Amino acid sequence: MGATDLSRLSRRDFLKNGFVFGAGAAGLAAGYAAVPDVFARAVYGGKLDGVMNDRVLVMIQLAGGADGLQTVIPLQDPKLRALRPQLSQAANTALPLDASFGLNRSMRGVKALWDQGKVAIVHGVGYPQPNYSHFDSIRIWETGDPLRRQQDGWLGKTIAANYDSAGHPLVGCACGSSEVPGALRDLDATLSVINGQNTFKFNGADAERAMGVIYNGTPGIYGALFDTSVFSARDTMARLRLAREKYTPRAAYNDNVNLVYSSRNQLAAALQLAAQLIISGVGAKILHVTLGGFDTHDQQLARLDSLMGYVDGAISAFHADLAAYGMSDRVLIATWSEFGRRAAETANGGTDHGAAAPMFLIGDTVKGGFYGEAPSLGALDRGGSLKYSVDFRQVYQEILESHLRVDSQEVLGKAFERIPAVRTA
Amino acid sequence: MGAQGKKTAPAGPTRRKVLVTALATAAGVAGARILGLRNLDSTESLTSAMDAADMSMATGMAEPADEYDAMIGVPDDSYVGPQDLDPSYLPPSQPATLPPVDVRPAVMLQPPISGIAAPKLAGDVDWISPLAKESAKVTHLLRRATFGATDTELDRALSEGFARTVERLIETPFVEPPVFPAPAAPRPSASPSLSPRASASARPSASATARPSSLAAATSAPTHMPAASAMATARPSATAAPSMGAAAASASPTVPAVMTNATSINIGNLQGWWLDWMTKSPTPFAERMTLFWHGHFTSDYRKVGTNSPAIYWQNLTWRRMALGDLRSMLLKVTPDLAMLRYLDLAASTGRAPNENYARELLELFTMGVGSYTEDDVKAAAKALAGWRLPMRTEPTAQTGIFDPRRAFAAPVTFLGKTGTFNTESVVDTILANDATAPFMVRQFLTSFVTPSPSDAYVARLADRFRRSRYDTKTLMRDIFTSPEFVAPEMFRALIKSPTDFMVSAAKALGATNLSGTIRQYGSTLGQNMFDPPSVAGWGEGASWISSNTMLQRANFVTAALGTLRTTPSAARAHERHLDSVLAQGTVNELNVARDDKSRWFAVFASPEFQLK
Repeated sequence: MGATDLSRLSRRDFLKNGFVFGAGAAGLAAGYAAVPDVFARAVYGGKLDGVMNDRVLVMIQLAGGADGLQTVIPLQDPKLRALRPQLSQAANTALPLDASFGLNRSMRGVKALWDQGKVAIVHGVGYPQPNYSHFDSIRIWETGDPLRRQQDGWLGKTIAANYDSAGHPLVGCACGSSEVPGALRDLDATLSVINGQNTFKFNGADAERAMGVIYNGTPGIYGALFDTSVFSARDTMARLRLAREKYTPRAAYNDNVNLVYSSRNQLAAALQLAAQLIISGVGAKILHVTLGGFDTHDQQLARLDSLMGYVDGAISAFHADLAAYGMSDRVLIATWSEFGRRAAETANGGTDHGAAAPMFLIGDTVKGGFYGEAPSLGALDRGGSLKYSVDFRQVYQEILESHLRVDSQEVLGKAFERIPAVRTA
Repeated sequence: MGAQGKKTAPAGPTRRKVLVTALATAAGVAGARILGLRNLDSTESLTSAMDAADMSMATGMAEPADEYDAMIGVPDDSYVGPQDLDPSYLPPSQPATLPPVDVRPAVMLQPPISGIAAPKLAGDVDWISPLAKESAKVTHLLRRATFGATDTELDRALSEGFARTVERLIETPFVEPPVFPAPAAPRPSASPSLSPRASASARPSASATARPSSLAAATSAPTHMPAASAMATARPSATAAPSMGAAAASASPTVPAVMTNATSINIGNLQGWWLDWMTKSPTPFAERMTLFWHGHFTSDYRKVGTNSPAIYWQNLTWRRMALGDLRSMLLKVTPDLAMLRYLDLAASTGRAPNENYARELLELFTMGVGSYTEDDVKAAAKALAGWRLPMRTEPTAQTGIFDPRRAFAAPVTFLGKTGTFNTESVVDTILANDATAPFMVRQFLTSFVTPSPSDAYVARLADRFRRSRYDTKTLMRDIFTSPEFVAPEMFRALIKSPTDFMVSAAKALGATNLSGTIRQYGSTLGQNMFDPPSVAGWGEGASWISSNTMLQRANFVTAALGTLRTTPSAARAHERHLDSVLAQGTVNELNVARDDKSRWFAVFASPEFQLK
């Protein structure tokens, strides 16, 4: 087997063959040559380049099925009032974006970024034959596969194909989470899950030391996997300590953070952790955060306004934070939800599971404005949901190709029509 | 995926060998003498240090699936939130009273580099298998067929020996867990499913996760409150739960009501109920088999319905049919209420067949991909159509109801046979196919024996499985008594699942109060009961291990030890629970452990204990 073949070996191959791939990478990261140079170069050459490229993606999941019509609100359409006698009140208080659409009244920060041309709103994002199960639709969005045949997440695949995640375990990270989100899952990718800075650690006074002693030269076919995993955990803890040092010394900025990041807003806390990882340069590339609460089967008017307030506050602070460090031109923020909601409201002033909804892309590299075609309230599908005009994978493609600058077909399996929402030059 | 057999017999240098040698050379460990290890690519032991070691092992449905939802397949699935982990526990220091672990130290030190020292990789050494010894065979069996052992269980099995223990595990009738109580008086405001929603706008959860569980606050309550129908049929139950876990018991201090398909249950309590029973059951083989079937014919409470009792009934079914024949099981699983919903068979009609269940029945449940065509999937979908969920007027139904008006009446061609099929003839046609027995046997072998069973091994057991009319008890006996099961290379060839790992730790400690801790860490470690990551069930082997899970496995040990009022002696823990086959790192830590808690920590957090 020659060097070119080696370059195609994946972690999966190694595990299948009783080897572990990550071992060498972790060694490399620590400046320790655990594998022969020629082998390391073949495998990691390209991937290290990827880590060094300075683009970062932050995906924000609005879990539960976020309503589009109360977020990007049609201002002129009389059918809105007919379908939603109560919820259409939101149009009265909307922040106008143009003559036809206004933003939810809670989203003043995002509106300010829109005014600076830093917000792209993609109308009517969905996929064919909408699935109304949270479970199934989340999986569809996570894997980028409406046929539900794929197991690996689209972000996980991106990481496995492009970055040396074994050597840089913070390349892909779920912030404010306790488990690996499906979008980040891939057997060939090493991922970090950091619920909070203070929870990514060994509990117990002596545990870290003991684990370092125990996992040193573990024999057997899984030995290197164990040793590398424990090493990676300790290494990540050390990087987090480093991140804390690099991030906190700017006192003036901290005051600012304390003002804008509300301690009761957990999305903001997760994004603050994301900012810390990005700013301190520990190798973060793809970060994922989640806010739940969007399954608004009742009392949607007040609940969604409130939720959008959290989203708005967190995103505004995050962007301001990055801008203060001169890094906002490297980071793209994108929102996603498994589906939008039914066009008509229910008797409880809520909405049932629907289909198409808008996506937000926010950042300095974004070309602000509307993309896609807003779904017509007069042409709903059989189940009363909004029809999609943009396949969500078109947006994924734009994120991968124009922002992260990686091959999207390797992840999505094919090419889609472009949604040119991110500047390429 | 799976790791290859540990000992291949290559005719010449294999890629594997070349690479291993390269790794070892670079790491400077070639030829290192390591305790209890043998060369991966040689039949000879690298070291005889083990000889010195003492081997004396004495050594709704949820929302009663309203007809509309069921018809168009729109489950109003909802989620519960993530659980925060226990606060850390700091072990108190005690005077060092433990005798040293009696094994010689070996040279395996790595110079530290900036910050953290990278581990020295062992490269080409493997554990020395003790499986030639009767006592090691017994502990191997208890790790594979059950969840490790309590002291009492271990002593009994060691005195009985391997063969008799196999017979006892298989032949002892399975003891049922205590009845899971229905909430005594379900009221909308008391329903656990409602609280997250009530607080949704007040406290959105980003702690949550990116997986669906993060829907935490997103949780939608059932649209149809089961209160009315449940209360209508509520009456005192004769079967009070004798040894109910604390969590479940405290949730319903009053007399349990009778459970109907409209009863709203608490999924967290149900998880605790099962985990509690795993640590306590007098027939732990039953729980191991139930977990196997739960991962095979899997269903996920999120889609079934967070508050639906269907997932509880499904659990009872797996246990009762665990050692039965595959045909009966398939006929039971097809109209199982949870399965009807999970794989959409309830939404399938002859006029508009839904292929979800038909596809997985062939792909994951019986035959395996590649042994049937897409046309077979379409044909099976038509042939299986007709099942529906119970209506609200059918609260006592615990299984699907077949409605001929929903079925497909015309002939189809399925697996080469043309005719009018029904569920029974679909199942019989599958069982008559040559792909079925080998596929099923491979599932069992990768779960109980080895990540990479040989084709000959599979074929041999599959032949007997089929001739036994797919009798699972026959198969399990064949597996445990096969020479392959105790072959040297099977020692520590499998990675314990999180449940396996945690329950076996609880049993080793003799702790009966850990189900809450196990449940919390199950979610963190990636194995939440009734919540598999996909229809393929849980991953296996190496996929359980990552930086995050190793960190959290250690944290589970800290939390579990922290709950103990008194800590049992750990002086012989490495003999009883690690077969005295230890890596140098484990030896080193055991010998610096100051007290019983520290030594138990080293035992449970060790790589030896992560393996089975």
